[in-house]
Amino acid sequence: MRTRFLRLGSVAAAVLLAAGCAETGGSGPAAPKDVSKELSSEKVTLTLAYTDDPPVKALIEAFQDKHPNITIKGQQTPFSDYVKSIKLSMASDEPPDIAEYNPGAMRSLVPGGLIYDLAPYEELYGWQDGFPSSSLEVLRSDAKAKEYGTGGLYAVPGALSVLGVFYNKQLVSAAGITQPPATLAEFEQNLAAVKGTGTTPFSLGSLQVGGFQLWNALNNSLGDEQQYRDWVYGKSGATIETDSAKQAAQKVADWAGAGYVPESANAIADTDALANFTQGKNAYFITGNWYAATIAEAMGDNAGFFLFPTAKQGNPAVASGASVAFSISSKTKHPNEAAAFLDFMRSPEAAKVQFESGFMPVDTSADLQATGVTAEVTTEFAKVVADNGIVPFPDFASPNMIDRLTSGVQGLVSKQMTPDQFLASLQESWTEHHD
Amino acid sequence: MTDVAVRSGRSVRPERTPARRRPKRRVGRRLHGLVYLAPALAVYVLFAIWPAIHTVYLSFLEWDGILPAVPAGFSNYVTVFTDPTLGPALWHAIVLILFFAVIPCAFGLLMTALLQGGVRGMTAYRMIFFLPQVLPLVAVGITWRWMYSDGGLVNRGLELIGLGSVTRAWLGDYDTALVALGLIGTWAMSGLCMVLFLSGVQKVDVALYEAVALDGGGPVRKFFTVTLPALRGEVTIASVITTIAALASFDFVFVTTNGGPVNQTTVPGLLVYRLAFNEADIGTASALAVVLTLVVIVFVTAIRLITRERS
Repeated sequence: MRTRFLRLGSVAAAVLLAAGCAETGGSGPAAPKDVSKELSSEKVTLTLAYTDDPPVKALIEAFQDKHPNITIKGQQTPFSDYVKSIKLSMASDEPPDIAEYNPGAMRSLVPGGLIYDLAPYEELYGWQDGFPSSSLEVLRSDAKAKEYGTGGLYAVPGALSVLGVFYNKQLVSAAGITQPPATLAEFEQNLAAVKGTGTTPFSLGSLQVGGFQLWNALNNSLGDEQQYRDWVYGKSGATIETDSAKQAAQKVADWAGAGYVPESANAIADTDALANFTQGKNAYFITGNWYAATIAEAMGDNAGFFLFPTAKQGNPAVASGASVAFSISSKTKHPNEAAAFLDFMRSPEAAKVQFESGFMPVDTSADLQATGVTAEVTTEFAKVVADNGIVPFPDFASPNMIDRLTSGVQGLVSKQMTPDQFLASLQESWTEHHD
Repeated sequence: MTDVAVRSGRSVRPERTPARRRPKRRVGRRLHGLVYLAPALAVYVLFAIWPAIHTVYLSFLEWDGILPAVPAGFSNYVTVFTDPTLGPALWHAIVLILFFAVIPCAFGLLMTALLQGGVRGMTAYRMIFFLPQVLPLVAVGITWRWMYSDGGLVNRGLELIGLGSVTRAWLGDYDTALVALGLIGTWAMSGLCMVLFLSGVQKVDVALYEAVALDGGGPVRKFFTVTLPALRGEVTIASVITTIAALASFDFVFVTTNGGPVNQTTVPGLLVYRLAFNEADIGTASALAVVLTLVVIVFVTAIRLITRERS
């Protein structure tokens, strides 16, 4: 009898487990009710799940200083585990009130109704003024989470990032270059000059995700901005198989052929690429401001930063950028307090924290006391924002795009793939997801 | 010897007869046994058997982990078999069998033959060769990545012996990545095979070797007539363990090449991971996992058939 009972017990537990991980809700997007700027004066505790620190911890502290009765308990998870677990934890019965938004991992929470469409708060607080519009755009999505850049707002940025070119001032001036290039053609001349001094111009880590930034930057420079946006956002009929994208891919192959990228690029990890650059093995490194603090620390005044040059002088600046953004769980008991935390992101107090932690402040007009390479990043960032030229990263387009981009750039660099094959493989992934 | 056998035979009989007469007590005893078994059984069923069954169930669903799951019939399996990335991945895993199973077993046998008589410093040998088994491949994978890199230990060594012309970033090279990856497996598995074989060889009756020597057989003859047949069981176990490690490999591929360059080192385990965690396609990931399990069963069965003792 007892065994049978135990057996029954294990079966029951198994069924419970199955139910637990089976499915939840699914009634379409959720919107908050009774939105208000009036916050509770009683003690409120919110939980916040996140992966990026800096800047999250410092942002929480700054917010708590302003609202002493609100406590935010942070739960940090390393990135690779975060993207795996956040979806399930948001779907659980007691999810965190606020969660750092990761589009790839969390998109399905939108049609599942598990994170709020923040449109009512956007209207209440007037967020369209406080945040750069391109930074909000990438966080919008339609109800099925298939097309982005339009529809409901599912997260709000808490710190911004931008892609550009870090360079080693010593190595560059050794090649007789006196100022950052104004056009792509001038940049190519510079690359040839650097190569002439015996230095491999680019540090490139195409073993991991860093590699595709080279193609991405070229594509931003050569391509049509709107066409690219439409493609990443999944607008029906969009394609990446364009002449300019092909030209960008061809440039990657040509530059590899000319020895502008390390021969062993396909075996270099992101952190190794960073180390190679800071140790002065290469003159240029295309990456985002998330490495600015590390680079500044390692290289001091020897490091500089410029936006990847445009094809023609006078073209508006275009650069990929993203954000550390926050979503609100639709199961939270304190939506108004959570929204206040999101609203705090555009405040001057937050701007200080965001900048000090190596990110770009949401409030781009904030007066920052920056020096060295971080100051250059800030100035350059302001240019893209002024041109409204922040575009999303290409891996945003579909769930397995990042794998296609990584292996595709490896193929371009090692001459195992033609530009046409590369773009066809990207488009295939896009079509699988969006059609 | 004979005496013991007879005695034990005697002692078994008296117990059997009363048991047959009193079936109630036997059932009671059985239940008793089950009670003792239950806690372990429950844990095993819950954490080993159930997930396996649940994976099969999930493979018939279309599910992203959040939205309600939709029955998908065999469509996930159709996707798995029509996906152009699976074929190469499976082929890479089969190539890895060479490096994970075949070479380590051969190496293990050779070392066993050489070390068998008892060599000075045997414990040290055993420890050194077994060490890779103790270190987690995930951690070691990163070390290997550096060793294989442009200015890494491997290339330095090649330059030292005058082979500077062949140096390259081995894991980043289109043609050599898979072989370089495989050799990491050889390094990890050889020690396991050797230790298994060395312990197996200790049970061999020394008289057999003496008999071969009397017949005029040398060390080679001794190895093939006595040692190898005696190690049949160990060879089977070693081949099964290492073949499974090759086919189900994931961790060290993930940290060293992540399938690159240009998908030259993708393995089925890596594709399962990408499907489940990057693409949130739990159904297809489960279907691929089921297919991978079947492939493993086929290989293991084949090994057992090949190494079975012919009666």
